[in-house]
Amino acid sequence: MATSEDEDTDRSPEVLSIDAGGTMTDTFLMDEGGEFTIGKAKTTPDDESRGFVNSSEDALDDWGLDIDESFPSLTSTVYSGTAMLNRLVERESEVNVGVLTTGGMEDTLRMGRGRQSYTGYSYSDRLHVNTHKHPEPLIERDMIRGVRERIDVKGNELVPLYEDDVREGVKDLLDRDVDHIVVMFMHSYQNESHERRTKELAQEIIDAQDAETTVMLSSEYYPTLKELQRLNTTVAEAYAAEPSREQLTNVQEAVDDHGGDIGVRVMASHGGTIDIEANELARTMISGPIGGMIGANYFGRQTGYENMVCTDIGGTSFDMGIIIDNDWEIDYNPEMARLLLTLPMVNMESVGAGTGSYVRVNPTFDTIELGPESAGDQVGVSAVETDVDTVTVTDCHVAMGWIDPENFLGGDMPIDRAVAEREIREQVATPMNLGVHEAAQGVVDILENKLRNDLEAVVTGAGYSPSNFKCLSYGGGGPVHTAGYTRGLGFDEVLVPEFAAAFSAFGCGAADYEYRYDQTTSIDIDPNVSMEEAADTAGARLTEVWSNLEEKIVDEFSNSNIGRDEIDFQYHILGQYQGQLNSIDITSPVAKANEPEKLEQLLETFEAGYRRQYSEEARSPELGHTITQASVRGVQNVTKPKIPEEEPVGPEPPEAAFKSPRNAYWDGNWLETRIYDLHELEPGNKVSGPAVLEGAATTFVLPPEYETHLDRHRVHHLKHTG
Amino acid sequence: MPDTYPREIIEDLVDDSLEWDQLHDMMSKFKDTDRFQQVREVLQERVDWEDPIIIPYAEHLYIVAKSADRWVIKCDCGHEFCEHDQNWKREALINVRDSTEAYREIYPEGMHPHPDYMELREFFCPGCKTLLEVENMMPGYPLVHTFEPDIETFYDEWIDEPIPTPESA
Repeated sequence: MATSEDEDTDRSPEVLSIDAGGTMTDTFLMDEGGEFTIGKAKTTPDDESRGFVNSSEDALDDWGLDIDESFPSLTSTVYSGTAMLNRLVERESEVNVGVLTTGGMEDTLRMGRGRQSYTGYSYSDRLHVNTHKHPEPLIERDMIRGVRERIDVKGNELVPLYEDDVREGVKDLLDRDVDHIVVMFMHSYQNESHERRTKELAQEIIDAQDAETTVMLSSEYYPTLKELQRLNTTVAEAYAAEPSREQLTNVQEAVDDHGGDIGVRVMASHGGTIDIEANELARTMISGPIGGMIGANYFGRQTGYENMVCTDIGGTSFDMGIIIDNDWEIDYNPEMARLLLTLPMVNMESVGAGTGSYVRVNPTFDTIELGPESAGDQVGVSAVETDVDTVTVTDCHVAMGWIDPENFLGGDMPIDRAVAEREIREQVATPMNLGVHEAAQGVVDILENKLRNDLEAVVTGAGYSPSNFKCLSYGGGGPVHTAGYTRGLGFDEVLVPEFAAAFSAFGCGAADYEYRYDQTTSIDIDPNVSMEEAADTAGARLTEVWSNLEEKIVDEFSNSNIGRDEIDFQYHILGQYQGQLNSIDITSPVAKANEPEKLEQLLETFEAGYRRQYSEEARSPELGHTITQASVRGVQNVTKPKIPEEEPVGPEPPEAAFKSPRNAYWDGNWLETRIYDLHELEPGNKVSGPAVLEGAATTFVLPPEYETHLDRHRVHHLKHTG
Repeated sequence: MPDTYPREIIEDLVDDSLEWDQLHDMMSKFKDTDRFQQVREVLQERVDWEDPIIIPYAEHLYIVAKSADRWVIKCDCGHEFCEHDQNWKREALINVRDSTEAYREIYPEGMHPHPDYMELREFFCPGCKTLLEVENMMPGYPLVHTFEPDIETFYDEWIDEPIPTPESA
């Protein structure tokens, strides 16, 4: 699976995955044989479809193909843009949004909550109160109207809906030319009747005025508890996501115009892709690198790896996520643009440290510190064509001879080793009273120790031991540090795909066509009732919630003319023992829980999950159970990228893989180090350290006492032999 | 990390007119090494008198050098309170709010402390009549001496510079 630039017009492109970033639109294109190529073009914010077409053409150029002859063969197209997220970040939208909320709660957006005053900040800024600040709300206070009504936490009506308040509020907001009215009442996830009635009343007034305003109910979009998150998310849907529909439609039209016969899908935070016609679009504002997790899970399913820890190092951050039994964990309250939302998002822990992290000596304590800022894709001071003037981790690699100055990013970026050494001496080594290479080694050690601690915390913090996992390392900077940050942690195996730099893009292409809906519940299963009675009460209620969510998914798929029989459904709950604060995520073995045997199976699955996460002794079934959330996922099968499959040859690398050796600095010593061409190695080949494996966008570093072998899927298996 | 910020930024910092992003950045980075002296210079430029400021003491108040070994607390209007280690509040004009009527002048009904438990003391400069500080204490409690800086240690050990004198200014 290497980038191919052969002029070969017999190719038939199948999977097109495009990521429109703030400045560049990247394309990942794969043919029917599993080979891929990449393309790039400037993002065109006015009409994103132009950037989409240009970037596709750039990729097709590599294969000497024309867009009109290639698009008809596409079987899967995934698009993700940043325009939505930008509206949130910039707090600028082309639409006007008004809010109706429970009287007395009009300031919910301004007051936020404590956590929202530091969410998204670096660790030290989260610790220090003086750097906390509540973010700017999306909606001005004078666009928010209170309505007298109240539903309690169990869904009982305490105060009836004052319909005159609704009428007055709607008229007021219509006078202010709103495009959308968002309705968020307290506890509407338990009882949506007030929101529903409000929509009817509002619609009557809108119709009478012949306005085009739409009414969006929090209970329809995000029926989950926590009013700030629910309001933020429903507002984000109106404010940021709806305006993107037109852009996405343009992209679809561009595909149609060039003969494509395929619906464009968009990457969503829950780890699947959804249609551009989906009712809920806000979850396509992904702010995390979840593509790699999807790719890892897909790869794991194909190769029989069930439990994996995914690690992704880029220029600015180190992202970690866990896959257990071929499924990821979901974060139900992710943060985007400094707002807490209620969206299901593939859970990843992110640390602000990467290969581009700035290295500085703290003048107060005389210690080396990394980040939190970074040079990002500007690499470092040694990249002489950029204007970076602070030393980065990559500069240290250059000084130590780990990275070949002539071959960085395949030689596309000029690197000057002398500049790296001079700046490290001036900025780090001299103030610390160290030699240049000693200081560089110190920086790398600090980074790797930090990553190792964070990685261990993520695995053990979730109640697991590293020995149950394969650690997968990818991202542009991952394989440089893989040996360092996995040392001594005791993973079952450490895997480095040869195509590490493109792994996230590969992952986006591997995403399922999947909708997912969640609903907060408070369904108690008391310990002293019989299973029959529990199935008739709690079980029946859970089944009803599941089937409502299932209908929403069927409805979403029907927007794209996909029938119920083509959908695979999966059912989930969040469950806890009664009275606990935290719930655990359980994949249900049954689709209905209204029969005693089925409910029993569900509870047994919960008990097993609880035992796994917290131990046998911590189980407390005598307290009874509470189901705090019900979720349904609906998946339709789509074409996935192929994983390379090559017959292994012998352990000896072929002649072409050897490059001229050079000296590199390893733990205080200069050692002659073998250099290999990463892409010329063949399956079955074994390589031992000290060695550096250089690829087009990835450098894989093998310290002394390490060895690796390449398997039939072109994935390296890294081993410590010392 | 800049070792120093341009003068305009320090002036904006003193005026509290920086954008939040910029202020946040300054707080998150290592402190610029000459921050104290820069702030001191900005403040010195803004007062109408010549005595060198040794440290800013509170809003509108400074400790200034009258000679190499005499430091006093001075308002930006020029009024001098007392020696630097004394409590300037004893020299201030004081308004005490210790009744419901007095509290109700500035508080909504029911939103102020009970006068039997807490009194509000407002300190004004005798020179310019500016409200300099407010303290809320139990009736009978002595005036709070908020801040007695250790000037020698600060100059010698923290910033390693000589203490300004009228001669050096």
